[in-house]
Amino acid sequence: MSQDKPSSPTMNAAPPRPALSIFSRRLRKFRSLKRGYYSFLIMLIAYAVSFLLPVLVNSKALVVRYQGSYYFPILRYYGAATFGQQAIGETDYRELARSFREEHQANWAILPLIPYSPVESLLDLPGTPPHPPSWQHIFGTDDRARDIFARLAYGFNVSLTFALIVMLMGNTIGITVGALLGYFGGKLDILGQRAIEIWSSLPFLYTIIIVSSIIVPVYLPGRNLVLQPSFWLLIVILTIFDWMGITYYVRGEFYREKAKDYVGAAIAMGASEASIMFKHILPNSLTPVVSFAPFMIVGNIGALVALDFLGFGLPAPTPSWGELIGQGVENLNKWWLVIFPLGAMFLTLLLIVFIGEAVREAFDPKEYSRLR
Amino acid sequence: MSGYFIRRFLLIIPTFIGITAAVFLVMQLVPGGPVERQIARYKESLSERGGGRASLTETGLPTDAVEELKKFYGFDKPIHVRYGLWLWNVIHLDLGRSYIYQDPVWDVIKSRFPVSIFLGLTGFLLSYLVCVPLGVFKAIRHGTRFDFLSSTVVFLGYSVPGWALGTALLVLFGGGSFWSLFPLGGFRPDNWEYLGFFQKITAQLHYMFLPVFCYMIESFATLTILTKNSLMENLGQDYVRTAFAKGLSERRVIFVHALRNSLIPIATGLGHVVSIILAGSFLIEKVFNIDGMGYLGYTSILQRDYPVALGILVISSVLLLVGNILSDMIYVLVDPRIRFR
Repeated sequence: MSQDKPSSPTMNAAPPRPALSIFSRRLRKFRSLKRGYYSFLIMLIAYAVSFLLPVLVNSKALVVRYQGSYYFPILRYYGAATFGQQAIGETDYRELARSFREEHQANWAILPLIPYSPVESLLDLPGTPPHPPSWQHIFGTDDRARDIFARLAYGFNVSLTFALIVMLMGNTIGITVGALLGYFGGKLDILGQRAIEIWSSLPFLYTIIIVSSIIVPVYLPGRNLVLQPSFWLLIVILTIFDWMGITYYVRGEFYREKAKDYVGAAIAMGASEASIMFKHILPNSLTPVVSFAPFMIVGNIGALVALDFLGFGLPAPTPSWGELIGQGVENLNKWWLVIFPLGAMFLTLLLIVFIGEAVREAFDPKEYSRLR
Repeated sequence: MSGYFIRRFLLIIPTFIGITAAVFLVMQLVPGGPVERQIARYKESLSERGGGRASLTETGLPTDAVEELKKFYGFDKPIHVRYGLWLWNVIHLDLGRSYIYQDPVWDVIKSRFPVSIFLGLTGFLLSYLVCVPLGVFKAIRHGTRFDFLSSTVVFLGYSVPGWALGTALLVLFGGGSFWSLFPLGGFRPDNWEYLGFFQKITAQLHYMFLPVFCYMIESFATLTILTKNSLMENLGQDYVRTAFAKGLSERRVIFVHALRNSLIPIATGLGHVVSIILAGSFLIEKVFNIDGMGYLGYTSILQRDYPVALGILVISSVLLLVGNILSDMIYVLVDPRIRFR
């Protein structure tokens, strides 16, 4: 496939192009698909930036200069008394910055761009929550008076991280099982396929809800907390029920690749079975894995939002899109509770779908020839 | 061939046992089951009366009463015996009795059939009526502006789950903050019984427009693209070249020769029509406040009404497995090249 034609004497004006590996040709193709490529760049940057959120969207000041010395509240906890505030608990940095400005002294505080934390209830706002969008809170606040923009921004990071980890874990299991079934075949293959069929006949979301409903914080009489919902537990549950899809494809690929000459060569060289499977065959069988990965992420984000919406998702104060939509369904006349989280989810999923479409086009192109 | 399908039907049995055993096990291990629920209720009434009894267990109930409760709900036996008993009853078409409604599970589930069938059938028919022609049209006009624009719509439809779109539609058109075009949810108006025939039709349309639209969105993108790709693939085949070569009109080649073959993968999806009895997506039903099958399943899990939750699982998994086989049968019927062994 990757051979270059020997340059013929009549065409020696053109310098001989080095042979491109199949991967770099696919990468080049992916880059040429502008919609998908730019979506990929946008998502990459947005996801990278979302790890800086504690510096960008937070209620803690970045730097405080107070009576000649510098403080970094973003890194350390300072009680209210440190800066002469009359309160218990942590300093209210927004209030501190305001009073510093009024005093016109050498004290100052630099707050993040959006000085609200996603888990902080802003109880001093006038009126009752949820508050409609305003200049201070561009997306409004939710029913516990938390800034919706902050929750959406952190929710982006949480959702994407969640979806990526579930995808990676599911693929690891799915590839391993598919590889074993396809490579060894025989009885293992038949039994394994039956087991997978049983497992994938379980109604996905229904089963996950049954399992997640169990993992409400459980206090048995006379004992301590047994189980409680957490980010990682939810990842494990979702992975357990969502690794089967890729096995069929990997199994098929292994089945096909196994018969090729390079595998025979590897066997002749005395390579171990594990090395044949994962070092020789696997890199040639990754096409379906790569082209399905973006759509798996879309599915995982959708599942997480649905679970959060139903109340079986991440534990309570975690910023989540589904939880906000759930609040919105309870208060339908508070439109900002629905429209903004939905917009965030929609935009994210759309970009990932664009990426997925381009990846599929680059890795697994279907050429249609239209006769006439 | 019939041997193949007989084997397939027989394989339903181990699959069914596998599914139900897995879920049964999980459910029985859950704290907060019916026994604990009754104990909690008893405790409440006890604290209201303010009195106590002499020999109370840790749970605040007389030991013999706890044993009696366990016996009543069948929790006095080990789990594999309970599963065996449950399975034995299911084989005799007895799904047990709901803990909450105190009615036989089958009656509870049956009462939701009309809503689910109505929603499922309309959504199913409409999505085929819209997606197949759209896919065909996109294939014929491949690469044109129409294809590009409709692809954008397909991408949008794929990117937002139907239920989530439903929440936005409710906010926009349900009269909360913007336009008041559709009711805020529910299956039928309260005064349904007093409406005339045509009023019933318009009222039903009025109530069902948004939910059915959301059902459609769920399958819109996949079905449209499947149709398009299938037709595109057929248009590149040799027999299409032959048809053109012998001078047939383009219309005839596409709609008579190519289209019939390209509908094969779409026709196979028809086998799952049996599942529409339980088509209720609890997400859509929760959003639109429709008391259908999906919502029943959701509330039964919330209220730990296991007989109902298991009953729904039994019916839906049997329908899914039968639907799989039906799909393969249709596949054989419409495509004589296919041989299952």
